[in-house]
Amino acid sequence: MAVVAIAVFVAAYVLLASETVHRVQAALGGAAILLAAGVLSFEDAFHSPETGIDWEVIFLLLGMMIIVGVLRKTGVFEYVAIRAVKQARGRPVRVMVMLILITATASAALDNVTTVLLIAPVTLLVCDRLDIPPVPFLIAEVMASNIGGTATLIGDPPNIIIASRAGLTFNDFLVHLTPIVVVLVAVLIGLCRWMFRSAFRYDPARAAEVMELDEREAIADPRLLRRSGLVLGLVLVGFVLSPALGYAPAVVALLGSGILVLVSGLPPGEYLADVEAPTLLFFAGLFVMVGALIKVGAIDQLAEWATAATGGSVQVATFLLLGVSGLLSAVVDNIPYVATMAPLVQSLSQETGNPDNVLWWALALGADLGGNATVIGASANVVMLGIAERNGHRIGFWQFARYGGLVTLVTVLVCVPYLWLRYFAFA
Amino acid sequence: MFARDLATPCPSIGVDDPALDAARLLAEQHLPGIVVCEPDGRPSRILPGSQVLRFLIPPYVQDDETLARVIGDQSAERLTSALRGRSVREVLPGPPAGELAVCRPDSTILEIAVLMARAHSPLVAVVEDARLVGCVTLPRVLDALLGLS
Repeated sequence: MAVVAIAVFVAAYVLLASETVHRVQAALGGAAILLAAGVLSFEDAFHSPETGIDWEVIFLLLGMMIIVGVLRKTGVFEYVAIRAVKQARGRPVRVMVMLILITATASAALDNVTTVLLIAPVTLLVCDRLDIPPVPFLIAEVMASNIGGTATLIGDPPNIIIASRAGLTFNDFLVHLTPIVVVLVAVLIGLCRWMFRSAFRYDPARAAEVMELDEREAIADPRLLRRSGLVLGLVLVGFVLSPALGYAPAVVALLGSGILVLVSGLPPGEYLADVEAPTLLFFAGLFVMVGALIKVGAIDQLAEWATAATGGSVQVATFLLLGVSGLLSAVVDNIPYVATMAPLVQSLSQETGNPDNVLWWALALGADLGGNATVIGASANVVMLGIAERNGHRIGFWQFARYGGLVTLVTVLVCVPYLWLRYFAFA
Repeated sequence: MFARDLATPCPSIGVDDPALDAARLLAEQHLPGIVVCEPDGRPSRILPGSQVLRFLIPPYVQDDETLARVIGDQSAERLTSALRGRSVREVLPGPPAGELAVCRPDSTILEIAVLMARAHSPLVAVVEDARLVGCVTLPRVLDALLGLS
């Protein structure tokens, strides 16, 4: 059984990495073979907390997708972005800083792909008006999105997987990851200022054209905006209070989405438009494949090897995890990577100890920040490149990697002293 | 009723003519599309008006229609700059995906309707001996099918 589980998992991973088949086909196909071969029973796949589909992850994602689907209709994102650009008086450097801050903040509350889909059109409009190349802005934003998403439990799918597997709360992420993400966003701004210095050409006449844009027109339905804003605020408060209330984050998201669907009055086609069924199915298939590895003992075996490799030192394990995750997430999708690593880290932490969950933070930082290195490192990168290309601005693999590699290297390096000082030196 | 009965004289445009001329013809003559001819005069494609719009409106506004309100009507004249200096060939939607919306003068009304539906074209060119003799527009076909004329 162990051979079948490992073979199916490796084959699916190769298919995912090479993109020879759609990722849903690879994940569900692999899961189907494992179920048919009897590696996992129905109970193992659907009901077991250890080896089964993590329904909490699936329903948290579903709830947030519905909430985002309604929020997109309000036009609030366009309003905020254009208002910020006008506050920057159309000066390119300030515009980039504003857009980075907005993207990073939004990514902490929404998923990265949605944030990119919302910010990219506004950016293209503003750059068109300012007659400056949009590519540096788009690259800066997608990186801000990947960094900003690291800050919270709901910001990036790998964080949702980690939270569920490790039993971490929304507040744990706020306390342990948000502070370093604030620093990383500042570092990103500095890097972008230097990397894209030739793109900041200021023309007062063109800046005046940006000032002509009327951001108030973005809000087509103020009533929907008020209701959606109130529900989103309640959902965020619900996440913060979820340990005290005894509600899991998935329950908070589902309650929020349910209320929003009721009060928005939107037809199902509109609030369900952002529900990505392929992503949810991909997660389900992935969990079954990883569950099979857990059941046959492959994950425990890997954890034993990892413990031996680190000499049982949690400090070595932390920095190894950070570096390896950063490196691997640059070349493989960080969602399957974290889905595989999460049970391994769980086993590893029992061997080495895990003060203040440092191993989980190292995994989250490495996997989320590594996504910036290459175009294929994160889904948001692929989406951003598609938008750029459709608008006549092609971004090549190496063009992206040149900037992404530097940003990943610097941001991961900045995490090293943070983790060391906070969890080892002054622990 | 045959194509020759429904056809009306219609302008055509050369594939290498300015795209702005095509847009003007569509606007001035209230046409849903225009027949595009090769340099030898042979009709080769139909340029639907919606395709001209797709070219006029930047993709980022098509992706996020909220921006259409933000930009406002006063900026609409800027959009025509997207067509300046471009030929009809550049505006045409890629290589022809399906069959060419061209019929003979003796094509029946149903044949024309099928052709329009299959080619997603609001216009069918009526061609005889590789020469454009007229066009049948979507409103004419619907009129005839619904017995309104």
